[in-house]
Amino acid sequence: MLKYSLRRILGMIPMLFLISIVVFSLAKLMPGDALGGEIDPLNTDPEYIEEMREKLGYNDPIVVQYFDWVTGFVQGDFGQSVKYKMDVSDLILEKLPNTIFLGMMSLLITYVLALIMGIYAGRKPYTVGDHLIGGLNYLGLAIPSFVAAIFAIYFFSFQLNWFPSNGSVDIMVQEGTLDYWLSRLHHVILPAIVLGALSTASYTQFLRNDIIDNSRRDFVRTARAKGTSRSKIYNVHILRNSIIPLVTFLGFDIVSIIGGAVITETIFTYPGIGQLFVNSVSSRDYSVVMAITMMFSCLVLVGNLIADILYGIVDPRIRLD
Amino acid sequence: MKKKLWFLLVLMFSLTLLLAACSDDSSSSDGGNDNNGNSNNEGQSDNGGDNNDGEASGPQEGGTIVYALDSEPKGLFNINFYGDAVDAQVIEFFDDSLIQYDENLKPQPNVAEWATEDNKVYTFTFQEGVKWHNGEELTVNDWVFALETIAHPDYDGPRWANVKNIEGAQAFQDGEADSISGLNVVSDYEIEVTFDQARVNNLENLWTYAMSQKEFEGVEVADMSASDQVRVNPVGIGPFKVTKIVPGESVQFEAFEDYWQGAPHLDGVVLKVIDPSLVIGELQNSQLDMTEFHPSSFDEISAMDNVEVLRAPGVSYYYIGFRLGNYDSDAGKATMDYEKYQNVELRKAMAHAINRQEWVDEFFFGLGAPINRPVPSAHWISADDADLENHFEYDPELAKQILDDAGYVDTNDDGWREDPNGEEFSVKFSHYATNNPTFETRAKTITQYWEDIGLKAELEMTDANLYYDLLEEGDEGMETFFGGWSTGADPDPTALWQSDALWNFPRWVDEKNDQLMADALDMDIVGTDQDKRKEIYVEWQQNINEQIPMIPIAELEEVLAVSDRLQGVELDLSGKNSPHEWWVKQD
Repeated sequence: MLKYSLRRILGMIPMLFLISIVVFSLAKLMPGDALGGEIDPLNTDPEYIEEMREKLGYNDPIVVQYFDWVTGFVQGDFGQSVKYKMDVSDLILEKLPNTIFLGMMSLLITYVLALIMGIYAGRKPYTVGDHLIGGLNYLGLAIPSFVAAIFAIYFFSFQLNWFPSNGSVDIMVQEGTLDYWLSRLHHVILPAIVLGALSTASYTQFLRNDIIDNSRRDFVRTARAKGTSRSKIYNVHILRNSIIPLVTFLGFDIVSIIGGAVITETIFTYPGIGQLFVNSVSSRDYSVVMAITMMFSCLVLVGNLIADILYGIVDPRIRLD
Repeated sequence: MKKKLWFLLVLMFSLTLLLAACSDDSSSSDGGNDNNGNSNNEGQSDNGGDNNDGEASGPQEGGTIVYALDSEPKGLFNINFYGDAVDAQVIEFFDDSLIQYDENLKPQPNVAEWATEDNKVYTFTFQEGVKWHNGEELTVNDWVFALETIAHPDYDGPRWANVKNIEGAQAFQDGEADSISGLNVVSDYEIEVTFDQARVNNLENLWTYAMSQKEFEGVEVADMSASDQVRVNPVGIGPFKVTKIVPGESVQFEAFEDYWQGAPHLDGVVLKVIDPSLVIGELQNSQLDMTEFHPSSFDEISAMDNVEVLRAPGVSYYYIGFRLGNYDSDAGKATMDYEKYQNVELRKAMAHAINRQEWVDEFFFGLGAPINRPVPSAHWISADDADLENHFEYDPELAKQILDDAGYVDTNDDGWREDPNGEEFSVKFSHYATNNPTFETRAKTITQYWEDIGLKAELEMTDANLYYDLLEEGDEGMETFFGGWSTGADPDPTALWQSDALWNFPRWVDEKNDQLMADALDMDIVGTDQDKRKEIYVEWQQNINEQIPMIPIAELEEVLAVSDRLQGVELDLSGKNSPHEWWVKQD
């Protein structure tokens, strides 16, 4: 296991190197730069823009720029954001807690919903309830999250006034108090539901199919022959076996927690990584875009590794070495 | 059978949801239409923005208002470092300028008064007893500190242009002097500023914001823009002080009791970032007291019962430019060598082809008006229409006639006009694209106007971030292009329309134009006589109006949505009045 992990981690290095080239060239292929959008005779003068371009090294040869960036990146210096005039790492750290909070909440909602629906559908396959759940799931899968977000805001924020439509916290409450956390929760629920509910489909169907699969196994027949009650069979024997494979999803979930919900965050004006990413792309703030993309790439690689390792742990039949 | 039934049920369920949403929407907009006329009239009758009701009882104290920002601030909450318009909206609440501009954009004393005899040496006198939010008193040293910070070689903000004309500023930046020699502190409240030469517009271009010396004690200039003093605990001399900042999301202010113009009526202000798509809903639910908004929302917002729209003449204008030359950015020189649109008759015909009134009504939603010069009409230098030769009135027949006379006729019977040499002629028009869906339609409409007089026209939408960069480079597709500028307090248009100016995108080279702009700044010609200066600018506008390097299209009004409980807000050419005069009507 250790040998396998080390091998995978070593294998990531050339991969990351290649990714860095792709990320860098894609970012630089975007025409324009962060200073171009700022043209305004009241606010900037051309000399300043030129001077900043020179200072930021935008006029250097592309190879020099790449090596400057990579050397900095390896040493943990992600560069400065042109728009925010602060270190990219500070900027990301500022937004990360919001994103993680949202990601956790939406995962929680996904897990709870998927567990309830999956178990129900698995126990009563091919019934009305099962089809209803399946239909809802695929509907959720089919609705784009931005449509769902706008509908949710329209109904729950504007019509019913249950949830705020924007922000991550009410600025009037004192930080650290119970009210503060309640306010955070209040703000995060709507985007979390939109995110979480729409992605239940894969979990639910996975769980359902696994339960159906397991219920036809020999050990279930044996248990039934012994006279074990039906609910005990499902809740103990089958469920345990069926949930284990779901654990491997955890690796990918890490990515989705940190990766943020690019579109949902933007619509809910929720200040997280996703919103930062969108704003940075549209304003051509290269250093931020590159740092976030690299972060996502690393996470995907690590997430995959974790998923593979977890596979090995929960299912000893899979030999990793 | 069972399966199908369920499928149908689910389908119907989702359809009813959709239909419910749609019908709800239409009914609310119906309700709005009833009030439409009403609130529109209201908006017009008190154009200045004074709210009449409640005036008799006088302002009430207390209350907190919510103000919406349309995108997230970048966090540079110090006027000396900011570069972003949203940051400026935040700073406005907690910092004041030393001088201010009136509704004609002429400078007026604010914290400081000034006197000058020769436009080279200015004496500024500060009011005594003006307090910073940290309790310190404002003195001229704080201003010197601001100017020297900006002139410091490590300074990373964009304000050097407003300081470099002070005598000795360049030497200070080059490290040859320890202080700026043009700044002579007479006392704590009096300072003499000497410029490197006398100019008509020295005052308007001077940086007139102070920066608390005490607050930034011990912070290196290079570290300032990232410091907590700028990002977390900014201080100013304005009517509200910052109590809390949630980065990228909201800012909380409370009233500054020691404000130099008197304590504000409001207890506090909360600024929140609200996506423009949510603003209408928030206004409707009275969750929001004030916001700027895009003209495309004007009808919907002015139809609301609980919101009033304030309107004021704006400082921005829009134009369609013709590419006339090329720009050598290394040498900073333009040459007028692009042949296609050199014929002034062609440009004139293209101007007459456009129904500007119809276009402005449709796409500026009644908030714009056609103009005939690159200066908004409310600005004090703007020329009267009677003094301008061309009014570019919509007249397609005249346009066709001009084209016929100039030799642009259809020689090969393909339905489109050819150029005088018989070559195929096609106008390439470009417009910037944002997520605003009306932009493509309005650009398409322009090309349609040209096609109506027989000129083949192609449209290219270009991403807004690249637009001006591509214009700068003289991109192939950008032969004619849509553009807009704002004018500032200083009317000098040199940076925009001087022959070699970077932002003179048509690359229009004209000696008379340059001469007039230089004359308007020349102390020997203008002196301190504002009327004389205006006269020259009128002549300058006449020249542009005759040469038509661009078709001036429209000017746009400024709008502000204000909830009905918020009183005392005024909007004019120079912007909003000071927030310490605002108050909330309490029941």
